[in-house]
Amino acid sequence: MVDLKKILPKRFFSRGNWVQPVLAVVFSAFLLWRLYRILFVEQIYGPDTWVKFAISGLILGSVYAVIALGYTLVYGILFMINFAHGEVMMLGAYTGYFTLEAFRGAGMLDWNWAGPIVEGIAAGLGASPDAATEAGAIASLVLVVLIAFVLGMLVSMLTAIGLERIAYRPLRQAPRLVPLISAIGASLFLQNAAQLMFGATPRVYNNPTLLNRDAGWTLLVGGEWVEYAGVTVWEGKPVLITYTGVITFVMSILLMVLLLILVQRTKMGKAMRAVAEDKQTAALMGIDIDRVIGNTFAVSGLLAGAAGVLWGLHMGRLNPIVGFLPGLKAFTAAVLGGIGNVAGAMMGGITLGVLEALGPGLLGMPFQLKDVLAFSILVLVLIFRPQGILGEVLSEKKM
Amino acid sequence: MKTLRRMSVAILIVTLAAMVLACGAQPYECTDEWGCAVFEAGETIKLAYVGPMTGDYSAFGVDISRGVELAVKDHGTVQGFNIEIIVEDTQGASEQGAAVANKLSADSRVVAVVGHTFSGSTEVSIPIYDKSGVVMMSPSATNPSLTGLGSSVFNRVAFTDEMQGQAAAQYIYETLGARQIVVMHDGGAYGQGLAGVCADAFEGLGGTVLGTEAVTPGEADYSAPLAAVAALDPDLVYFGGYDADAAVLVSQMAGAGLQEAMFFGCDGTYGANYLNLAGSSAEGTFSTYVPIPESEAFSKFRTDYQADYGQEQGELSPFSPHGYDSAALLLNALDKVAVKSGDQLIIPRKALADAVRATADYSGLTGNISCTAVGECAAASIKFMQVQGGEWTEGPGQ
Repeated sequence: MVDLKKILPKRFFSRGNWVQPVLAVVFSAFLLWRLYRILFVEQIYGPDTWVKFAISGLILGSVYAVIALGYTLVYGILFMINFAHGEVMMLGAYTGYFTLEAFRGAGMLDWNWAGPIVEGIAAGLGASPDAATEAGAIASLVLVVLIAFVLGMLVSMLTAIGLERIAYRPLRQAPRLVPLISAIGASLFLQNAAQLMFGATPRVYNNPTLLNRDAGWTLLVGGEWVEYAGVTVWEGKPVLITYTGVITFVMSILLMVLLLILVQRTKMGKAMRAVAEDKQTAALMGIDIDRVIGNTFAVSGLLAGAAGVLWGLHMGRLNPIVGFLPGLKAFTAAVLGGIGNVAGAMMGGITLGVLEALGPGLLGMPFQLKDVLAFSILVLVLIFRPQGILGEVLSEKKM
Repeated sequence: MKTLRRMSVAILIVTLAAMVLACGAQPYECTDEWGCAVFEAGETIKLAYVGPMTGDYSAFGVDISRGVELAVKDHGTVQGFNIEIIVEDTQGASEQGAAVANKLSADSRVVAVVGHTFSGSTEVSIPIYDKSGVVMMSPSATNPSLTGLGSSVFNRVAFTDEMQGQAAAQYIYETLGARQIVVMHDGGAYGQGLAGVCADAFEGLGGTVLGTEAVTPGEADYSAPLAAVAALDPDLVYFGGYDADAAVLVSQMAGAGLQEAMFFGCDGTYGANYLNLAGSSAEGTFSTYVPIPESEAFSKFRTDYQADYGQEQGELSPFSPHGYDSAALLLNALDKVAVKSGDQLIIPRKALADAVRATADYSGLTGNISCTAVGECAAASIKFMQVQGGEWTEGPGQ
């Protein structure tokens, strides 16, 4: 017989508390019943629609994950929630926009500078000329996008460092609530500054032609037997996987891995973990606290900038308040995964994105209520497992 | 004794005469139910415009406010007192609408409001203005229920969504030939109301509404709800909402599997902003427009608009002539009820509201305007536009 007391957390059974287990059982039963009805009885959506939901969720989730990484890093080291993080992302996105606009203005957005070089190499290797042209075009594209990324990340990094110097450093000795309020103030300031500088009208990213938001691979999913002139053919339904979506997902995983390496394997990471564990002792050990905190914000700024450019390339829509809602959701994701935990932020982000996309469909809820779903999940996690799903702290060494 | 009696009588007569003279020279007493706004010499009369001046939907606010400015410029002064336009920003949100209404009600020099612009923010402001007695003339709030709230201050020159939804359903069924549609909206008073009217009218004509899907406004990714709509395989998607959200929807429709479906918007999705944001995805999509009858006044309006603002009238939104007419109607009523008393100008609030409601046969830019007892003052009809070659052109079959 399974010993429930050993598996479930202690608070379930503390002082005769029966409310939580009952709630958990009722809720799980309800969820399972809904899932059964949607998936097997009503069958509103075919497998291709579920795949579309999943893809949309994964991509959105990966953007949330990158932003959440920034939140979690700052919280892990300073125990402070940087509410202006969304605005740092917004500024990175705008920088990427202006970079691409500059390229477009100079007519260089689709500039195939690498073409001749690659074709030369291909001719030397004896490869087909078509493949060479394509490779050349892609190489040129990579440079343009890379420049947009680098500039966006740079501006975000500078903003984050400036934010730390002006809004947070003077308040380091103050009670925990004060830097929080300062963060909210900084967030409002950056939103309005962006509105004054860039105007309130929404802008749209003009991607290079190869990276058009409609272009991508078409997958054939599910389908049915269709008769064509007496012959029955299995025809799958098309699902589009956009190039920008794949880039977003891959970049976010890459950024997480890089961050993990930074925190676990480098000297700066070691210093960050030391400051996270005990600020005073670390100072006594000779670690420059100010520099470490500055570095932390710089890294979080880089991440936010990358997230901003990814947002712009994939979603396309840009306005001064674009950072607010994703910032809030990313914070939720960080808490969901365990704030202070890098892998937790990534997991939390993707989970939240997938829940937002698949949740309304699975539960038969209207899509209008997806935010209700997302924040309800947060509330439930905070009730049943306040330390988050992976619930560890940044300072612990993992090998 | 006789002298004393004569003197007393004389004093009595003089006193009585003085009282009569004083009565005649007494200032105008405000007997209006809702009070009066009193302006001293040199003060300006405040006319407010409320709309989304910043944020995603700023095109509408900016465009209509320009109409208001031109109207005030053309009208000049009211009995020698200048009109000052106070522009308030709601960002298209209902909560802001209530906050702005409270702010304007507290200012005793605000006598009338051109607004609000969006139905959602208008709905919440009507009870606030009702209480403070500030008359409203909305250029663009089209939700049908607004004039059914029993308000004595709310009026509008815009058409109602009752009319727009039914005309759209008819156009979709008869001219475009769609038989199965999905109705989408943004959950706001305007979008949801309009979508509901269109769905009912379409079913009444014999078509099928496969489903209704609501989206959260302001998001950048609607691929999940669009995937759900694509699973229903409709001929056409009808959307009630504003341009910024419609632009995201059309951009993501093809990717979600709705390449074959047509997209039909509304007056909220019309404008240059929608074309900019949606780019090539907007090709072939529809929306509603208000055609203005040709007249000398309209030509002058177009020239003035181009000269003052460097943009063509009708580019940002269909409602700048409505902004002009709203302001002009309010000023016309002000002229009628304002009383000059000495150096002061006194404007009785209820009399002003009644004068606005009693407008009959007023020749405005949008047509010949007469207000009904509930405040419907619409004159213009609607037309459907389609994006062809990156420009808004008249839709087929009209």
